[in-house]
Amino acid sequence: MGEVELSCRAYVKMYLHACLFPRCSINGLLLSSSSAGGAVCVTDCVPLLHSHLPLAPITQLALTQVDVWCSQTQQRIVGYYQANACVSDSSPTPCALKIADKIAEQFNNAVLLMIDGGKMSPDYRVPPIVMYERKDSRWTLKDKHTIMLRQWEETRAIASQMLESGDHMLLVDFDSHLDDITKDWTNQKLNNKIAELASPANGNV
Amino acid sequence: MASVSELYDVGWEEMRDKLRKWREDNCRNSEQIVDVGEELISEHGSKLGDDIWIIYEQVMIAALDCSRDDLALTCLQELRKQFPDSHRVKRLSGMRLEALERYDEANKHYDAILQDDPTNTAARKRKISILKAQGKSAEAIRELNEYLEQFVGDQEAWHELSELYINEHDYGKAAFCLEELMMTNPHNHLYCEQYAEVKYTQGGLENLELSRKYFAQALRLNNRNMRALFGLYMLAGRGTKENKCSVKAVEEMLESMQITMS
Repeated sequence: MGEVELSCRAYVKMYLHACLFPRCSINGLLLSSSSAGGAVCVTDCVPLLHSHLPLAPITQLALTQVDVWCSQTQQRIVGYYQANACVSDSSPTPCALKIADKIAEQFNNAVLLMIDGGKMSPDYRVPPIVMYERKDSRWTLKDKHTIMLRQWEETRAIASQMLESGDHMLLVDFDSHLDDITKDWTNQKLNNKIAELASPANGNV
Repeated sequence: MASVSELYDVGWEEMRDKLRKWREDNCRNSEQIVDVGEELISEHGSKLGDDIWIIYEQVMIAALDCSRDDLALTCLQELRKQFPDSHRVKRLSGMRLEALERYDEANKHYDAILQDDPTNTAARKRKISILKAQGKSAEAIRELNEYLEQFVGDQEAWHELSELYINEHDYGKAAFCLEELMMTNPHNHLYCEQYAEVKYTQGGLENLELSRKYFAQALRLNNRNMRALFGLYMLAGRGTKENKCSVKAVEEMLESMQITMS
């Protein structure tokens, strides 16, 4: 029931992932580099799939690889995000609940984030996300007031700007990595671009 | 904004040939098609001859995909003028209505086509697409099954059905569809690999055995299929550990391929 903070980098990458594959359901993992306890700070995300989300092998593979990378980089998997292909329905699918359950086994305060495609157009001023938390073994809607996005206006501006300039084409998700193994699913290039665009005052990126 | 021909230093013939390639490969790179096609039509329309009609169709569909209703309407109007009674153009009108989410009107268009010509597969498939867009998966699946009873050889339909079943977590039926596809396309490594993934997801000793076989088959057909390679490694490292993916096996494999994250 704690607070959750979403960093600029995590939000922008999720947003660009959804924009890169507008006709597919997409999903990914939410990571944190902060220590456990207190608010959950989602500092980064790893885009995973844009096809066959319910199928097991690639998801398992991705979870394993991200786990290994996290332990090497002092991060942990703290959540899962998904955007459904059908824009009118932003409720978590059975596979989303399953993966989120798995993450919750390792991290008590795991979050499940659904991107609401219907609210992604430029005229919407609020973050197009819906968050769920685990209460009594069920995923329930999180109170909006416990979700924080620092410098939201700036984050929104960065996301729009990167979309306009076609930077979403640089994003690599795990699926793309499997199509071309040389592509970097940690998206270091994109991370650097986001950091450049964010103001120096925003220490949370 | 610089034109496509300026940006990429291409002439109109290259643009036309590129559009043809994308048509033949059935690519859905709609933003590119719109950029190239729009310029080709407006600047060089007169040079295209009869090709212009198929280009109008291609650009129109791409424009709908990019929410460019202005461009889509322009193309549609030209096609309507040239082919006033065509079912093919009527289907495009229907698709435009779909893009505007006017599904009832779109359905009327397709029903009209089917009354005239009950064997028109395109109209039937559009109706199924509407069900899918409306989130009515169960009905879409039912209609698609009926369609396939009549048109057993329609690969695209079998694949679409397998995707719908996967999203409904009905892996047994998804496997059946993929089996149909593998029978008619024995050299297609992607079908083998997808089948293996479905079997893996179903779980249980028999299915995992099948999964391993089909990952291996996919790899034999295309030794660069990474998903098949990873799948095979994950199953090879199993032994008696039923549901745990062998981290060690994957790590060893990655090392042997010398893939680094940095």
